[in-house]
Amino acid sequence: MKRRLLIGLYLVAGLVALAILAFLPGGARAQFDVLAEFELHPIIKLPSIGPVDLSINKAVIYLWITTAVLAVCAFIISRNIKPVPSRFQFVMETLYELARRSIVGAVMKSDQASWFPYIAGAFFFVLVSNLIGLVPLPFAENHQFGFYAATANLYATLALALCTFVFTHYAGIRKHGLVGYVNGWVPSSAPPVLRQLMLLIHAISEVFRLVSLSVRLFANMLAGHSILAVFFAMALIFQNYLAAVVLQAGSIIIYLFEIFIACIQAFIFAILSAVYIGGALDQEE
Amino acid sequence: MDAESAKLLAAGISMGVGSLGPAIGLGMLISKALESIARQPEVSGEIRTDMFIGIGVTEAVALYAFVIALILIFVA
Repeated sequence: MKRRLLIGLYLVAGLVALAILAFLPGGARAQFDVLAEFELHPIIKLPSIGPVDLSINKAVIYLWITTAVLAVCAFIISRNIKPVPSRFQFVMETLYELARRSIVGAVMKSDQASWFPYIAGAFFFVLVSNLIGLVPLPFAENHQFGFYAATANLYATLALALCTFVFTHYAGIRKHGLVGYVNGWVPSSAPPVLRQLMLLIHAISEVFRLVSLSVRLFANMLAGHSILAVFFAMALIFQNYLAAVVLQAGSIIIYLFEIFIACIQAFIFAILSAVYIGGALDQEE
Repeated sequence: MDAESAKLLAAGISMGVGSLGPAIGLGMLISKALESIARQPEVSGEIRTDMFIGIGVTEAVALYAFVIALILIFVA
């Protein structure tokens, strides 16, 4: 009975505080541009070789951090494998098993062992890169803390998708030979006139896989980060403390949802890579 | 209507209309997947994997609309 009374008192006090906040005037109006968070300015200027600019910018630093985190985790875990896993080892083992069973094992029919390293590598890289994007790091303008993910950059995701694209055709050609692989794109029962058209359509769809694989990851991370930025900065736009309190609660929910999205996108990237490579290895007759 | 407001309108419409189809598709996809998991719980792992592949492919359509909206606002 006493506890209920206390909870009720807290609720009333909170509501009164919110009502007072609602009528307080806000602070100074701030200019806010969501997409400014995603602009890349060179942090360390380096000379460019021909058309290739070698300057170090935010995206490059995030890629380095991802690589470093992955390398350090892998190094620590491989030095010290115990029969009874510690918490850290348990997490890594679970992720490894997820990549081995649910991604490669569930999708690829043959040659699992030789393609597992690439697909697991892509999975871990995208996962760590997405998750690091949700940690505030001091690489925004003037060394402020800000959110950015290497995968919220089309060039990084396009490079990853190109790896899958190249490995898909490499796997197919190595297994079936060039002629056999291209012939396997269309069913052999198709009439010759239709065959060429189907080959053309299939070739176009192969290119569009590259586009969809890269744009999916890029747009997901960009959309998530811009929604987060809008929620975090909406208080500045509304100029109202009540809106600020409500929106900060909303931004926490969005943040948790983004963690989910980061994991799901890594899973989808890896599993689609496995589907494409597996499809090139085992062409249907 | 000047060009700037037309751009903003087009971006809003492309995002809104472009997310209609994927939303319907995702609803159908997930409801069917859940139905089949309820019917056959023993293959829920495989169905869930396929469901996530489908979600990834369907959701990409809405994200194309998002990218086009961004291009309309900031690049075009």
